[in-house]
Amino acid sequence: MSALRRRALQSLSIAVLLALWELAVRTGWADPLFVPAPSSVVRAFRTIGPEALRLLGETLGKTLLAYVLAVTLGVGAGLLIGGVRYLHDVVSPFLVALYALPKILVLPWILLTFGLAATPAVVYGVLQGFFPICLLVAGGVRDVDRMPLHVARSMGATSWQLYRKVILPAVLPAVLAGMKLGIVFCLLGVLVVEMFGGIRGMGFLLVSLANAFRAPELFAATALVSLLSVGVVLGLERLNQRLGHWR
Amino acid sequence: MRRVVLGRVLLLAGLLGLWELWARHGDPLLYVPPSRVVPALARLLRLEAYPTLPAHVGLTAFEVLVAYALVVALGLSLGFALGLPRHVGAIYEPILAACYAIPSVVWYPSLMLFFGLGPASKIAFGVLLGFFPVVLAVLAGLRAVEPHLLTVSRALGAKPAACFVKVVLPAITATLVAGLRAGLALTVVGVLVGEILGARRGLGYLINYTYGFFRTADYAALALLALVLVLLVDGIAAWTESRARRWTEGAA
Repeated sequence: MSALRRRALQSLSIAVLLALWELAVRTGWADPLFVPAPSSVVRAFRTIGPEALRLLGETLGKTLLAYVLAVTLGVGAGLLIGGVRYLHDVVSPFLVALYALPKILVLPWILLTFGLAATPAVVYGVLQGFFPICLLVAGGVRDVDRMPLHVARSMGATSWQLYRKVILPAVLPAVLAGMKLGIVFCLLGVLVVEMFGGIRGMGFLLVSLANAFRAPELFAATALVSLLSVGVVLGLERLNQRLGHWR
Repeated sequence: MRRVVLGRVLLLAGLLGLWELWARHGDPLLYVPPSRVVPALARLLRLEAYPTLPAHVGLTAFEVLVAYALVVALGLSLGFALGLPRHVGAIYEPILAACYAIPSVVWYPSLMLFFGLGPASKIAFGVLLGFFPVVLAVLAGLRAVEPHLLTVSRALGAKPAACFVKVVLPAITATLVAGLRAGLALTVVGVLVGEILGARRGLGYLINYTYGFFRTADYAALALLALVLVLLVDGIAAWTESRARRWTEGAA
């Protein structure tokens, strides 16, 4: 099947789904109080649009800060842990456990400690993003083929050349995979804190719209965040492919 | 090996010691040293602190159980429905993968609106989180089935059902069981997140309640209890996974 045909079928399926949904509401089969029709969701975009975009900006600002911190710390720790064998053996069970455990359990404590402003959102975003990035990078470094390293060294490569020509290209895919995964986790962390702590931003907007039973606006805001997130991840994937060519 | 174990023990002891030291010098409302968490945990487990604890834990366990049953049923049926016909998976998998890139918690307010504040919205959120790894695992497993094996067994006259049981199922079991385990972990996370974001009963609610009243020692003890329960569930899942893996290797 050609890529074009697949694209067309994908778009067609989504269009059919939206049409069925619209029909279900119009014929009274679904209650618009809970499941608003797509047309009313689009209309709701206009009413909450400006405010939602401003709050989205705030959420994105926090996410970006958390992301930069999570990537810096995660990649740094990952390179270190992946590079030193003993460290890797000692630390990795803890890392895996911390990655898998529900971090929501420490969220109340983070709010108590850091107050009710942007800080807890950033801290929790970093906490969410750090472990997947660190684990992916550490795994990537561990899996690097040692042979080219030995060959380059025995042929007299300086450590800078070694790093630039052998290690960096070999580790890059893992770093990029971590960066792609990390952004979703950071955004998730920031949104959870905004929802739980009632902190200005998209998460708080979503919860208040739900509490006010404004379903069309709620769906519009949800769609906005979702589309943005998918867009960012697809963008990073594109970048990944670009860099793949460069390698 | 011994040095590694020693390193782990030292690391853990160092972290606990640091926590103890830090907490003793910090605000006692915010920081609880381990030496105060242990008695709180004992009181909690003897049901002196919160006599209704079993009911809360029971409700959370019930929500996880129902959500996971739905995850398995929905995940497997959708996975096979998309993966078994030849081209359907190629069309819909990218859409599913794109949905995976959405931070799941954005759906929670909509679920709360739809299902209310009771257990239904927690179950729904657990299903939403756990569902994706299962579907994606079925699709990944089916894609990795050797087409030759299917062609050969069909040529030898195996019926579709026999092909499925004898060829497809053993080939995908390892991937599938790993996906089911990841789905279980995420289902638990979903239920807990749902309860903490807003509930009237359940373990998450109790955690929220203790934090709201600055009973930090009780909060830490409850969080610890929740962690142990999560680890227990995942341990059972890991054991099942290794059993299933041995079964497929034995069959191959």
